Amino acid sequence: MSYYLSTIVVYFGVDVLAAWALNIQFGWAGVPNFAFIIFQAIGAYAAAVVSLGPDSGANSFQRYIVGANLPFPLPLLVAGVAGGALALIVGVIATLRLRRDYQAAVFLLIALIASQVVSGDVGLFNGSNGLAAVPQPLAGALSSLSLGQYQWAYAGFTTVVTVAVLLVIRRIGRSGWQRALRASRDDEAAAGALGLNVAAMRMQVFVVGGVIAGLSGGLLVGFITAWSPGGWGYAETFAILTGVILGGVSNDWGVLLGTFLVQIVFIEVPSFLPEFGYPGLIDKLEWIVIGFMWLAVLILRPRGIIPERRYRAKLESGAEDARYKLPAGVGVGGS
Amino acid sequence: MVSGSIVLQSIGFGVVTAAIVAIGAMGFTLQFGVTNILNISYGNILTVGAFASLIVENNHLGLAPTIIVAPIAGAVVTFVLARTVFALFARRQAGTFELIMVSLASSLIIQYSIDAAAQGQTFSFTFPAGKTLHTGPFVFTTESLALIGLAIVVYALLMAALHLTRIGKALRALSVDPKLARACGVPMRRILNLTWLVSGALAGLAGLIYVSNDLTVSANAGLDFLVLVVAAALLGGAGSPTGAVIAALVVGITTEVVAAIGGSYYSQAAGLGILAVVLIARPSSRTIFGATRDEVTV
Amino acid sequence: MSTVFDRGQEQPKGDAAAAERTLLDVLDVRVRYGGVEAVSGASLQILAPQIVGLIGPNGAGKSSLLAAIGGQAPVAGGTVVVDGHEVTKQPAYKRARLGIVRTFQTASVFERLTVFENLMVAGVGHPGASLTRAFFPSAALGAAAETARVEALRVLEELDITGMRDTYCSDLSGGQRRLVEIGRCLMCSPRLLLLDEPMVGVAPHLVRRIGETCLRIRDSGVAIVIVEHALEVIEEFCDRVVVMAFGEVLDDGSYEDVMKNGSVRDAYLA
Repeated sequence: MSYYLSTIVVYFGVDVLAAWALNIQFGWAGVPNFAFIIFQAIGAYAAAVVSLGPDSGANSFQRYIVGANLPFPLPLLVAGVAGGALALIVGVIATLRLRRDYQAAVFLLIALIASQVVSGDVGLFNGSNGLAAVPQPLAGALSSLSLGQYQWAYAGFTTVVTVAVLLVIRRIGRSGWQRALRASRDDEAAAGALGLNVAAMRMQVFVVGGVIAGLSGGLLVGFITAWSPGGWGYAETFAILTGVILGGVSNDWGVLLGTFLVQIVFIEVPSFLPEFGYPGLIDKLEWIVIGFMWLAVLILRPRGIIPERRYRAKLESGAEDARYKLPAGVGVGGS
Repeated sequence: MVSGSIVLQSIGFGVVTAAIVAIGAMGFTLQFGVTNILNISYGNILTVGAFASLIVENNHLGLAPTIIVAPIAGAVVTFVLARTVFALFARRQAGTFELIMVSLASSLIIQYSIDAAAQGQTFSFTFPAGKTLHTGPFVFTTESLALIGLAIVVYALLMAALHLTRIGKALRALSVDPKLARACGVPMRRILNLTWLVSGALAGLAGLIYVSNDLTVSANAGLDFLVLVVAAALLGGAGSPTGAVIAALVVGITTEVVAAIGGSYYSQAAGLGILAVVLIARPSSRTIFGATRDEVTV
Repeated sequence: MSTVFDRGQEQPKGDAAAAERTLLDVLDVRVRYGGVEAVSGASLQILAPQIVGLIGPNGAGKSSLLAAIGGQAPVAGGTVVVDGHEVTKQPAYKRARLGIVRTFQTASVFERLTVFENLMVAGVGHPGASLTRAFFPSAALGAAAETARVEALRVLEELDITGMRDTYCSDLSGGQRRLVEIGRCLMCSPRLLLLDEPMVGVAPHLVRRIGETCLRIRDSGVAIVIVEHALEVIEEFCDRVVVMAFGEVLDDGSYEDVMKNGSVRDAYLA
């Protein structure tokens, strides 16, 4: 039971990080990143290949690039950087002024191709078999711990990272930059005509989302010690997106709640039920249900699938009154 | 260094690939042009067609039924999907972005329903093998020539229907301006039904052709192909079968040449790369085909 | 007394060369949409801060010319030079940073933001609009942000809309949105202000307010180009009138002179 709980905590932390990253891209900047899962994937792969050591000797059963042996916490940092780097490349699509569904389709195609490339090019990340035996962070230093204790330590660490990222997101969520982003979503031409480089802002958002996504991948792979294309199909983006939209896009706590409902209650819990039918049937049925949930969310959400919580700006402008009194005689009285 | 003859040979393969892609792309672009919906579940209809043929073939019902059932299954499933799910959202005035999400949700449902029924296995397909022909540097089998022929026939029939029949002309009118078409008394319902049926049939047919080339059928089959089909359709312009065919040739040949030089897993990436380059370099394509229509017609 | 309108006078007045520089120099500009040429070789020069009315029948190319100056439409031929800077190939956001700001035919306020937030977004060079500074706020950022806030409050005062400060723009009337739009432009230290049919759908008393605001803006050293259909507005507030028809400039002079021109009358009747 304790193993189960600590596992759930880790998975939930990772899922929430992914959800917030997607929320930033989709909710704040309006970028329909249907390729989201590949950013988590590359973070996981990057963390794996820099901690596995070379693909010879004990690791000769798998082939992969790099093969360094970096100690904790470097693989995690590399994961974040990898996510950001991929976002820098793929993000060019985000900066184009395309019709949104067109843009979404291109992202989707990118995800499909990424899957094909990684599965096909065995030398890259060991193809469709994927990577295994990824060393767990600090396994040596914490070898005195039992498996259960180690898992709880990992869960604690995941929680710390999640909270830290939340603080970062909340900070930039209250900034002038985020306000500029919201403005550019309302009227892109007007934002440009006021000096805002909308394309650059979208790219920045995309990269920030990519870094967090990569980080979540690095955390996940350190825990489950394996990673293969089967675990990051294009459909995974929609499991995350369902949680984001269910909870209310652009609302950090709502996203957390929605992710909890979809990823934990709906996806994780049934996996502990006794198998029926044949192995794997439950997974497939879950995806069918997610498809229906998706349709239900689309129907039941009022028009404007991105309802945004109105930011309370009064604090910002009202607080100034006390501190800044305009010189007497300036302007006419308020209307 | 890759020899010139290999490159030429892969151009030949590319034409075959292009034939397969073209059939799928023509169906996709026809439907996209008329309804303005980027229907991602089209890829799964390919799979439906392939599995329908597989079932018929496994029951040894003969070659003709095996071939016919694919487009029929594709047409039926597409029609039902469009008239139930898509129509529901269109009635609620959903825009194009919402509809692509709807089509993705439908795609998940169809894909995993097939996957669940197929128990996740991969099946093999037996198709009567033909002779192999060598013409110059090109290598063709009778099947690949039949495929190219089929693509040409489909194209010719489609173009004839669109330009010579009344309903075809009405369809093109609807494609260009739905509001005007409706005001002019174009039989919307009939044309839309026809559009869904025809595009579904082409998807099913493309699915059958794809697996007959590849000889394996799995629930993922359609998805692998979707990339090239959508890329070709978008590249060629919404609603333009000619554009789809030309784009399919470009994408197909590039794919095969890249595969010969660099490795097959990067081949599809090359196809997408062309699309990306065109999107980035051509400012006019950014606001997609001129008018930025947000409404869908179902 | 320093008001927001005084910022226009921050241009170095003592610099004789600056005084010589034309504010706006549009030379033989062509704008093409698809196969149609909306503007066929239009030229326009503005030497000193003044309000220029741009009139003409529908389809004359007035909005397209504005778009060519503001950066919303690609220039197929000719040059656009503002205050000595050639901006012909520059994207809109770079032109805005040089002081070319504009309003749009349908009031382009950011609906999901409040009036105050709209003004704050427009702080060109406002340090807050940078992501790195969002992560690492510095004392300089804090000071600059305060300056922007003070400016925003001043703009609200000058336009007499302080009471609407925290109202979401989706709740404003057409005329109020126009005022916010203009206020936003003021936040950008404009050198050239382009107004695209600012009076359409605006209540009469607000039309007067907007017009008088334009006069004050001009007096602070900013040139304004207004596209308008209501000729009374043009007559009352514009120093000079430019007439366009069929993508070309037909006439350029005072309101009285232009209205006496026979071909101008013909263009309207055509």
